[in-house]
Amino acid sequence: MDESIHPSGTARFLLRTTAWLTTIAAAILSLGMAPAAQAKIRAIGVENQYANVIAQIGGKYVQVRSIVSNPNTDPHVFEASPSVAMEVAGAQLIVRNGLGYDTWVKKILAAAPNAHRQVIVAQQLLGLPENTPNPHLWYKPGTMPKVAAAIATALGKLDAAHARYFNTNLKIFDASLKPWYAAIAAFKAKFGGTPVAVTEPVGDYMLEATGCQIKTPWTLQAAIMNGTDPAPQDVSIQKRLLRQHLVKVFVYNQQVTDPLTASFLHLAEKSHIPVVGVYETMPTGYSYQRWMLAEVKALHLALTRGISTTVLK
Amino acid sequence: MLTWLAHILHWSFLDSGSVQTALLVGGSAAVVCAVIGVFTILRGYAFAGHALGDVSSAGGSASFLLGISPLAGFLGIAGIAAVSLEFLGVRRAREQDVATGIVLGAGIGLSALFLYLDTTTTNTTGTAVTVMFGSMFTFPASLRLPAMMTAAAALVMMAILYRPLLLSMVDPELATTRGISTRWVGLLHLLTLAAAVALAALSVGAVLASALVIGPAGAAVRISRRPGVAILLAMLLGLTAVWCGIWMAYESYYWFAGRAWPVSFFVVTIIFLSYLTSVPLQYVRRRRFVRAMPMAAYAGG
Repeated sequence: MDESIHPSGTARFLLRTTAWLTTIAAAILSLGMAPAAQAKIRAIGVENQYANVIAQIGGKYVQVRSIVSNPNTDPHVFEASPSVAMEVAGAQLIVRNGLGYDTWVKKILAAAPNAHRQVIVAQQLLGLPENTPNPHLWYKPGTMPKVAAAIATALGKLDAAHARYFNTNLKIFDASLKPWYAAIAAFKAKFGGTPVAVTEPVGDYMLEATGCQIKTPWTLQAAIMNGTDPAPQDVSIQKRLLRQHLVKVFVYNQQVTDPLTASFLHLAEKSHIPVVGVYETMPTGYSYQRWMLAEVKALHLALTRGISTTVLK
Repeated sequence: MLTWLAHILHWSFLDSGSVQTALLVGGSAAVVCAVIGVFTILRGYAFAGHALGDVSSAGGSASFLLGISPLAGFLGIAGIAAVSLEFLGVRRAREQDVATGIVLGAGIGLSALFLYLDTTTTNTTGTAVTVMFGSMFTFPASLRLPAMMTAAAALVMMAILYRPLLLSMVDPELATTRGISTRWVGLLHLLTLAAAVALAALSVGAVLASALVIGPAGAAVRISRRPGVAILLAMLLGLTAVWCGIWMAYESYYWFAGRAWPVSFFVVTIIFLSYLTSVPLQYVRRRRFVRAMPMAAYAGG
């Protein structure tokens, strides 16, 4: 018996077992990996408004998740859990806002480098410097077309076979923003220069686009946004704005609140100044463009009929 | 009188509702802390006072979660911690530090949880800073009455405790023969201390509360060993620190282009400076009085 040609019984058993195990492992791996690799691109929109736009561009070829979407919390102070970190690190496409709004994502990505990962930062697309004071870029009318175009390009790189599909969706998305732009232009033409008060700068870009004059001191807006102590001087100015009807609308951030903003809200209601609620993240039941249009409509409703839209439903 | 003062200081200082509330609530805290702080230092409970402040942060952070008044939160947890300190067997000085340290750790652990829940489940922003370092200018006007009532209750309690507390400090055996329960007096003192700490935590924050409880009283005790005089002096120092701190924070709005500095920073800095000043004063006084029995001075009141 030549042992060098014919393996012993034990060795044969080991070989056979290894072969079986390899087959089973391969089967498990293919079960786990194959559908993801074949079908959908794993994408993350860190804030749910960006996730919504990814979903609109990527359609059926993309599996999108958002991280910051709880309407009852303040995204500025979001804390990432280890499971979120894993999800972010494993995504093929990530869209985030930038400007210190989601710095934690940057840290996670730096810790798990991946050359094939596509990362889109709205701040970079707009060419804004780090010290830009107002990070709420999605309220700026020019932001989302640029983000959407970057998403279509990135998706085309990840899945070249469907690049045309993504580009068609991009055109549909861009067209769907027209009613919002038209509403902004109509508002500006009719109500440009309207004095408004705000709690913090979340909706400021849109208010500027509609030609509204933001009367609330910037230092008060920044203090409320950052959770630092507001100066009594600023609080007095804000209270005077509301009490003496020096503003026509009070724009209230639903997601960054404290007893002080609640007292402003109360004062606005007492002075019969209509309130318009604005959000850090997309409220449930909306798409990005419907949300933005609803905000301008709410402003319009506040000015023409004095109706408050404190909560978008 | 008030409008005249307003002209001297700054045109709108006393007109502002937030300033008025800060002056009232912070002032109440300073007065109560002065009275209780002197006894706390004389009894050697300064560390317990500091620990109660830190622990009370759990109450402050829970109040945001529950939507109740922060004063109620601070009071509740500081009170529970005070009772725990007494019942964890604080008989010897060494044990006292151990028990205090353990209660302190447990309390701050709860704060870590509540502050996490605050930021992840509610829309409160800046809670951690408010709880830990205070936000006097954000007090709602509705806080004035409960804060002043808490202060009044604490002062009444200290008026009742004044004699028995002094006696049980100076001569516990004599106090016992006179029918004073040193344990009850000690517990009531700790509970009143908890009220002072709650007011201080509300004003300058949980972490800085001990600065207001111990600081002015510490400086006063260095300058005068007579409890009555020390209390008055501590009140003067505490009120000066809090009111000047509020005024300076208000004025800093004009120094830094609208980016006013926090009140707590100014208050604690003034307290620290007054304590530094009290050190040389103590040596001046020591040269004049030479005492064989330092404690004998307290019995005379």
